[in-house]
Amino acid sequence: MSDLLHKKNQKFYYLLIVPAFGLYMFALIIPLALGTIPSSFQKWSLLEQDKTFIGFDNYIKLFSDATFLHSLVFTIVLALFTILGTNIISFFVALLLDNKVYGKSITRSFFFIPNIISGVIVAFVWSFIFTGAIPTIADKLGMIWLAELSWFGSGGTAAFTVILVSIWQATGFLMILYIAGLQTIPKDVVEAAQLDGCTGFRKVRLIYIPLLMPTFTINLFVSIAGAFKAFDIPLALTGGGPFKSTQTVALNIYNDAFKTYQTGYASAKSVILLLIVAVIAIIQLRVTRKREVQY
Amino acid sequence: MKLLKKRKTLLWTRSIMSFLLGVLFMMPVFLIIMNSFKPNKEILASFISLPKSLYIDNFVEALKIMNFNIVFRNTILVTVFTVLLTCVVSFLCAYGLTHIKKKFSDKIYLLFVLGQIIPFHTVMISVAVLAAKTHLNNSLLGLVIFNSGFFTAFGVMTYVGFLKSVPRELEESAALDGCGPARTMIQIIFPLLKSTTVTLAVLFFLWTWNDYLLPSILIGEEKLRTITVNLYVFKSATNAQWNLLIAGLTVSMLPVILVYIVAQKFITSGLTAGAIKS
Repeated sequence: MSDLLHKKNQKFYYLLIVPAFGLYMFALIIPLALGTIPSSFQKWSLLEQDKTFIGFDNYIKLFSDATFLHSLVFTIVLALFTILGTNIISFFVALLLDNKVYGKSITRSFFFIPNIISGVIVAFVWSFIFTGAIPTIADKLGMIWLAELSWFGSGGTAAFTVILVSIWQATGFLMILYIAGLQTIPKDVVEAAQLDGCTGFRKVRLIYIPLLMPTFTINLFVSIAGAFKAFDIPLALTGGGPFKSTQTVALNIYNDAFKTYQTGYASAKSVILLLIVAVIAIIQLRVTRKREVQY
Repeated sequence: MKLLKKRKTLLWTRSIMSFLLGVLFMMPVFLIIMNSFKPNKEILASFISLPKSLYIDNFVEALKIMNFNIVFRNTILVTVFTVLLTCVVSFLCAYGLTHIKKKFSDKIYLLFVLGQIIPFHTVMISVAVLAAKTHLNNSLLGLVIFNSGFFTAFGVMTYVGFLKSVPRELEESAALDGCGPARTMIQIIFPLLKSTTVTLAVLFFLWTWNDYLLPSILIGEEKLRTITVNLYVFKSATNAQWNLLIAGLTVSMLPVILVYIVAQKFITSGLTAGAIKS
């Protein structure tokens, strides 16, 4: 019956696919397959019409490009600190808010709202904190060195600001995932452990952490993939400076493409970024799938 | 009795502690909102003191200088049409995919899944070139079309996931009652996916409203700017007028925060679903 019904209307069902598929091909697949990938093998500037095929020259050039390599290193450093920071903070906040607590939803919102605000706005909010609020508070506390610290003046402090703000923005999202994970832990397991005298930090280490392993893996890969796409916050907070020290890979590509118009070369960098993110995503899919089997 | 009292105290301590931690975490946002009600002099004098009076001239001037009426109109137009278009085409496509030959639909579905992996930064150059060729640059329609194109992959995946759990018998009995395929889809099945649609709509709203990169690449004309681009340009152009930028930031954050408060449940469920699927 069902088959017959569907055969009769097959044309209708195929037609339904067309609009979404068309938009998707137009916006993403065609630019990638007919734009980015071929251009990565060309010597081409956005300002000129002529493109010349140069094979892998752009890719070879990448490996001796100090600015690009530095952006790659900075992206990895940013990823490491952000992953550690967000996961540790959001895990403990989730533990706190998984308990019975008054005003739970308001408190959760406080942690979550930074996550829904645009990265550019988040960066501007924090640039006021670094240049306005922190000096004022440091002044009142008599900490002259802190009041006079130029946050965006040196590579180290600028990197610190990017890392801190990235952690601040991403924490709420991971917190939600941890809370969701904590809710899957059976209550009787926790109670039994408590009766056996397992409380406090021991309870976290011996009960929560092992049972939350699936959530840890998801959060880890979510934060890794997110870190490799970092763009808005470094752009609006430090502009990648000083001296390109806080330039991420995405920002490096953007500058090459739209500031110096090295279209072909920036495309080669794009392909490398795509490969990095794809490898991470494939690992993530595998891990997530393994997790599904466990249930 | 004593134990009960002790528990109650513990609960209160824990509640107050976590609330204060939350307030501390949100402090940057609170400080911006607070300072938007202070004149420039007062801001420069002390960033952390409470406003002496509710001063609203910042807003009046910021709304005027940053052309917020035009900017808001542009952002709302782009966001509303992106959300509508993406939800509609994603639902239609997902419905189609779950009703055609499995061999073929699996292939299309896989292509959508692969698209989820592609970061926008890796196609932004080609998108800029393509937009210029098709005259979709400097147009709000262009933003809607490209946004929808990027978001459909996620929309289709989410709808397919939920459509699989809808029993086929529903459609069969509708057909027996004389309901055509289009009517079955719109009147019987679509209403069942209401919460999925709301979740997706809220996510598409946030992604579009907050976006900086695509509008900064596609839009050059000042009167077509969207909120984040407008703030970015204003900040780079005038570094000194803090009071105006702070008022602008407050005004730009409020719609998103309001949407969050209204749709809290859907946002969190949508984000967790998205994280686990993508």
